[in-house]
Amino acid sequence: MSSLAEKNSTGFWRKSAVFVLLIIVYLIVAVPFKVMEIIPGFTDIRPVSMLMPVFGIFFGIPGCIAYAVGNLITDIVSDSLKWSSIAGFAANFIGPFVYYLFWIKLSKNQFHLRKGRNLLKHTLVIIIDALLVAGMITPFVALSYPEVNTALFFVMVLINSSAFPFCIGIPLIILMQDELGFKPIERKHKIKDMPKQYGKY
Amino acid sequence: MGMNKLQANLCLICVTLLWSTEVIIFACIPDSVSPFATTSITGLIGAVLLFLCFFKRIKAEIKKGGKKLLLRTLLLSVLNCSYNILYQYGLDFFDVSTGAFTLSMTVVILPVILLMVKKSVGKKTWISALLVLVGIAFSYIGKIDSVNLYGFLTLVGGCVIRAVYIIKLNDYAKEHDPVTLSALISLIVGVISYAIWFIFQPATFGAIEWNSQVIASLFIYAYFIVAFAQTLNIFAQRRATAASATIIYSLEIIFSLIWGITMPADLVDPVTPNVYMMIGAAFIILGNLAEIVDFSRVKAIGKGREQLG
Repeated sequence: MSSLAEKNSTGFWRKSAVFVLLIIVYLIVAVPFKVMEIIPGFTDIRPVSMLMPVFGIFFGIPGCIAYAVGNLITDIVSDSLKWSSIAGFAANFIGPFVYYLFWIKLSKNQFHLRKGRNLLKHTLVIIIDALLVAGMITPFVALSYPEVNTALFFVMVLINSSAFPFCIGIPLIILMQDELGFKPIERKHKIKDMPKQYGKY
Repeated sequence: MGMNKLQANLCLICVTLLWSTEVIIFACIPDSVSPFATTSITGLIGAVLLFLCFFKRIKAEIKKGGKKLLLRTLLLSVLNCSYNILYQYGLDFFDVSTGAFTLSMTVVILPVILLMVKKSVGKKTWISALLVLVGIAFSYIGKIDSVNLYGFLTLVGGCVIRAVYIIKLNDYAKEHDPVTLSALISLIVGVISYAIWFIFQPATFGAIEWNSQVIASLFIYAYFIVAFAQTLNIFAQRRATAASATIIYSLEIIFSLIWGITMPADLVDPVTPNVYMMIGAAFIILGNLAEIVDFSRVKAIGKGREQLG
């Protein structure tokens, strides 16, 4: 009984440490881009979006929360905390959650990007996810700040949430899963289409 | 385990895309900061990051590889610094687009070097190299008279050294751990660049006007271009041939053209596209397709469909 409690407590601390580490990783990637205005007065460039699929697929719900909290901290640190940050928090949770939902909960296949078919599926998830994120934040920004060009804002969120997960996120996942040995979060239902390279799941 | 050919090609394209953004990050660093300072600081930050994340792995590999590994990374770092210095001086004699097209000469030089050292080069690679060469030739139409021979030879010299670097890196990546290679190369390049920086600017760190933008730009460069792109490149090189990797690198010119056309003038030197440039770019894309697309598989799929039909 006591060993079970000990095990649970170790698990809790380990999970907490991973959660904090994920937030730190988010901040390391996001904060410099907040400081460096690449296109002043236009919008910020957010390569941190490449972490959305990584946090969702490899770290599950804690990863999704870490992503949303990381975004909130970045807003506070960069003095850009506004009413729309509430929608931003929700959208930044949903962003990685869509990847988790599709690849871990709904898909019957083991997650990997070794085949063209899976790459295509993943690209579709990226597009749907980007539309969802942009669709969640834009109405709030439009209502709270009528002076903002809503169409331009929508397009920029769409580009940020799709281009980086596609161009950098996919190679990052390949590097993590196929070369550095990271495993997607465990799933409970039966899986198909598992490449031989991954051995017994 | 390990990435397959399709994944390796995707990673090499990503590396090329990241390298092409170098100019955008450089634009956020004031001209008063010496290029050697940038290379030194970003190399050292990149090395620290890699050592922090993979300390055990790097320590084990250094123990295993010993002197041989250290000498090899030293050679790679010296080659890396040499071609970068030659590029830096050579590019001063060119306009942005012709300079960028000329850098793609590595694609043509590399198979020739491979042939000279009696390594086999596939027919496909020769076709790709020829297509890229035609692309470069198109970019020179109407500009031949203005080309400075000294600048041209300096760039070609840089391309020869880069070709040797890629061949060596490709060989060593198959023998040693890519993370360790990347960390050691970053560290040694950082130290060599610091020495050159010290010669030209003895005040080194004290000579830089530090502000949040400079610090942010250096960090972004360090972890995207140095730590991430370099490590990803070495992992991908393990699964690719030196020739195919170089052909994919030639896509950098396409990305640079896109930045030159779309980005604001205060970030990237603007590029006004002309017909020859576009034809040249098209040939480079064709050269890449010839290398990347597995035509035997495409044929097999076509045959399969015919049989089904």
